[in-house]
Amino acid sequence: MNKPAVEAERSEILTEVGKLIIPFIQVFAIYVILNGHLSPGGGFAGGTILGASMILHRLIFGWDNLISRLTYDRVMKWMCASLLIYGALKGYSFLTGGMHLEVWDVPLGTPGKLLSGGFILPLNIAVGIIVSITVYVFFKLFYEGTI
Amino acid sequence: MRKVFSVVLALALIVILLFGVADLPTFGNAENPSNNEVSYRYLEEGVEETGAVNVVAGIILDYRAFDTFGEATVLFTALITVIAVLRRDEDE
Repeated sequence: MNKPAVEAERSEILTEVGKLIIPFIQVFAIYVILNGHLSPGGGFAGGTILGASMILHRLIFGWDNLISRLTYDRVMKWMCASLLIYGALKGYSFLTGGMHLEVWDVPLGTPGKLLSGGFILPLNIAVGIIVSITVYVFFKLFYEGTI
Repeated sequence: MRKVFSVVLALALIVILLFGVADLPTFGNAENPSNNEVSYRYLEEGVEETGAVNVVAGIILDYRAFDTFGEATVLFTALITVIAVLRRDEDE
């Protein structure tokens, strides 16, 4: 792979602070996505935080790291898989609910618990994946011209 | 000829849209169709029906989940378009 045209100078302070702060940002993003049905936030907000942490990682640690190897194939696979999962889950719930079919429905659980709310948790995760990849790939495309 | 045609077409569209705007209900009127029972239903029975404590998540991912599916698809389409326009080939 060719090196991108824009490759900034890296300072020691930036690298160390990035090592310290990026895991916390990503844990917070995952918390926001997983608690979307319990507290303010959800897939869109958490996905944006996750995408921002990936952009920060890309800016600080540069080309030779794992995250920047989010290749074209992987982007397409993750996005299509998330969209298909979203459509399948919600299509199932819409069809069975709309036609009043007496088939298995996902249990709603106790309101307030993490595993509750039916399909809302997996849908939040799918939306979070889509939004984070979109934010990151947009930044990378406009900044460097490649994925 | 084309310019005249486009001006006429634009004027016709403007007139049609202005007729539509003239039929809108007055802003803030209590009798407006948007002040219906849907919001009360969401607030009173949302937790029971969706199982989500956060009412916003319950609305956008359960009652109105098809709309959110459209939003995700818009993001996907925008990403594909930008990739198709801006992506450089590896061997260049």
